[in-house]
Amino acid sequence: MNVQFKKGALELCVLALLDKKDRYGYELVQNISSKIAISEGSVYPLLRRLTKEEYFTTYLQESQEGPSRKYYQLTEKGRSHLYELRDEWQQFTKGVNEIIKEGVGYDKG
Amino acid sequence: MTRDKFINKLDRALISVPYEERKDIIQDFEEHFAMGENEGKSEEEIAESLGAPNQIAKEVLASYYLGKVEKSSSTGNVMRAVWAVIGLGFFNLVIVLAPFVAIAGFVLSGWIAGGAFIVSPLLFIINILLFPDSFNLIDMFASIALSGAGILLIIGMYYLTKLIRTVFIRYLNYNVRLVKGGMKA
Repeated sequence: MNVQFKKGALELCVLALLDKKDRYGYELVQNISSKIAISEGSVYPLLRRLTKEEYFTTYLQESQEGPSRKYYQLTEKGRSHLYELRDEWQQFTKGVNEIIKEGVGYDKG
Repeated sequence: MTRDKFINKLDRALISVPYEERKDIIQDFEEHFAMGENEGKSEEEIAESLGAPNQIAKEVLASYYLGKVEKSSSTGNVMRAVWAVIGLGFFNLVIVLAPFVAIAGFVLSGWIAGGAFIVSPLLFIINILLFPDSFNLIDMFASIALSGAGILLIIGMYYLTKLIRTVFIRYLNYNVRLVKGGMKA
């Protein structure tokens, strides 16, 4: 699929996963890659960028198994950005879906 | 690729990033490997799904240089940011380099024209010294007027260059947002 198109979507996925609860990097990556084909490694640069843009704050927390985890927490700025992106996305996909519905049917006739 | 090899490659590709920040980035990936291994995945499997360390480094570098250019937009920083963004992919070669060259050419020619206008009385004087017969008042006044216009042009170029720089950095940021994000093609 078109790379540019998919890339904007990743930012929305990360923000959406953090809306209800804080998560650590690995958890975010696994959640996304279980549903969409991504290069897992590029989620981390994205997380860094969004942290720099003050959409998240991070904190470290010890865990019983393995090393301490870096958790990401959505800020208010991040939350309003998420809602903006979500609305744009929904409008966009709604439009595309309608076009597919109208267009694809006619091919058979 | 083993964990050590992956981490080494990434570390080497990020050599221009200051130590503290680089350590932080490497830490994220070490954490990722450790958790994957906890789930019973092999180092090779984990490295494979992470993707190429060089590509990851390119994405880190692009946002690193853009962050830097926002703090201090020296010409060197602007150039490094442009190259880093171009490094993200062939697509950027066209949509970043082409406007950059065009704009840089425009700015440069503005400065050169301004400079040439300002020194035009000097050229007039040289001309008189070499060919004293060719003196005429119209030339003299024209060169003085041109010099004044040159000073105005240089002042204008100064503000225009600042403005263009800001707008172009914004364009680079927009470009990173558009092109980055690492979905598999």
